Amino acid sequence: MFNFAFDNLNSFFYMDGHGIYVWSVFFIVIISTSLMFIFYKNELRKIRKKIIDE
Amino acid sequence: MKLIFVEFFKLKMKLRAWLGPILIFLLIIISFPLTVELSSEALNDVFYSILWIASLLTIMVSVESIFLEDYEDGYLEYFYVANNSLFSLIFTKILIYWILIGIPISCLGTFFSINMSDDISSLNIALPSLLISTYIFINLFALGNSLSLNKGSALGALITIPLLFPILILLGKIVLNANFGFEISNLLLLMLGVLLLIIVFIPFIISFIIKTHLE
Amino acid sequence: MYPYILYFSVLFYAFALVWGLGFAPADYVQGNSFRIIYLHVPASFLSQSLYIVMAIAAGIFLIWKVKLAAYMIKSIAPVGALVTFIALISGSIWGIPTWGTWWQWDARITSTLILFIMYLGLISLHSSFTNFEKADKFISVLVLIGFVNIPIIKKSVDWWSTLHQPASITLTNKPSIDPTMLYPLIFSMIGFSGIIVSLIILSSKVHIFKRESHKSWVKRNV
Repeated sequence: MFNFAFDNLNSFFYMDGHGIYVWSVFFIVIISTSLMFIFYKNELRKIRKKIIDE
Repeated sequence: MKLIFVEFFKLKMKLRAWLGPILIFLLIIISFPLTVELSSEALNDVFYSILWIASLLTIMVSVESIFLEDYEDGYLEYFYVANNSLFSLIFTKILIYWILIGIPISCLGTFFSINMSDDISSLNIALPSLLISTYIFINLFALGNSLSLNKGSALGALITIPLLFPILILLGKIVLNANFGFEISNLLLLMLGVLLLIIVFIPFIISFIIKTHLE
Repeated sequence: MYPYILYFSVLFYAFALVWGLGFAPADYVQGNSFRIIYLHVPASFLSQSLYIVMAIAAGIFLIWKVKLAAYMIKSIAPVGALVTFIALISGSIWGIPTWGTWWQWDARITSTLILFIMYLGLISLHSSFTNFEKADKFISVLVLIGFVNIPIIKKSVDWWSTLHQPASITLTNKPSIDPTMLYPLIFSMIGFSGIIVSLIILSSKVHIFKRESHKSWVKRNV
């Protein structure tokens, strides 16, 4: 169950030509999710500041 | 009964709101053939979908201000205070819209569909399905536009059209079955059942929404 | 509370991904492109279950007038849109090597797209009102109507012949997927859900602070 499915790291990134699809999906998802996190963090900081200022 | 007459004349007086949509329907129906090289075979395949989409767009345009004027001049509020319920008003409004816009559109669409497919059999596909589907469309667009009352009709269309997809699929299914020579009356009955459910429930939901607007 | 959920689930998801991407065997038919499943299935699972959570919250708000439930709806909707977007984009990229096309008018893809549009509609409906009490009521009505409609949409698009493989994991049947691929999938579902839940916690924090900014307990807790 825990055998590495690829011969080496290079083929892990290449994935028989499918690597570009797999990695681009993960790239897009990581970017969009972390953007959302950053957006809400920013909002929260702004609101905190506003409430403290009042 | 009096309500029906009042609403009837209100809509008929606004000639733009009454005749406009029917002309728009005509224009959409006419403009589709211009874009497919006027070759009749290609047109025959997609003619029914043009019909459905044209009726959807027409209803979308015509229903966009169904409650707006009455809301702005305070008639809705007056009616609610006087009768303590909005159900009858909303029901009548939708019915009048169907009679004045839905039925003419259905007849026109049927007329064109007879012209397109050269036998008379399309009469019993196009007419009943158009009659039922326009009533459903008017109900659902009224719902969407009551949600987005005085916030612009684009929002109402945006939240309504996703709700209409099952009906469009059903319409497509009816045409498919008719093309294969299968029975379509069970599908029509299914759509009629949906319509009956919608007629009963949608005015309640709309009156809840409008009460919230009036608060 | 929420940073711990976030850190834990990020670690968990990373672990599941390493397992799934590196150690699970390649699919017999689809080759290595099947590894997108460790993102696609959690996302499409969540895109529907978040809508169900929203519908429950809408019911609670309309019946018992619990204000917190309305804030829940408002804060879940953008996250749900994000998750549905992820499901769509991962599915279409998966489709390129597998089906040879990135888009197909197929039952599940189409209903996911409709779900995405409905999420966007909810967001734009709520944000077009300045009176938040009204907007809360409208958005919950719309969520409930959509909740009635989504199964109908799914069933009705099922009438079309479908290209999409049936669900690999259902609660009732034995999973039709090999255990070596299944375990990382379950782990990745848990991890991904944890990340999304912590995102929801963060966004609901924002909304609660925004709406209750004049209350004294908020001031004490800032």
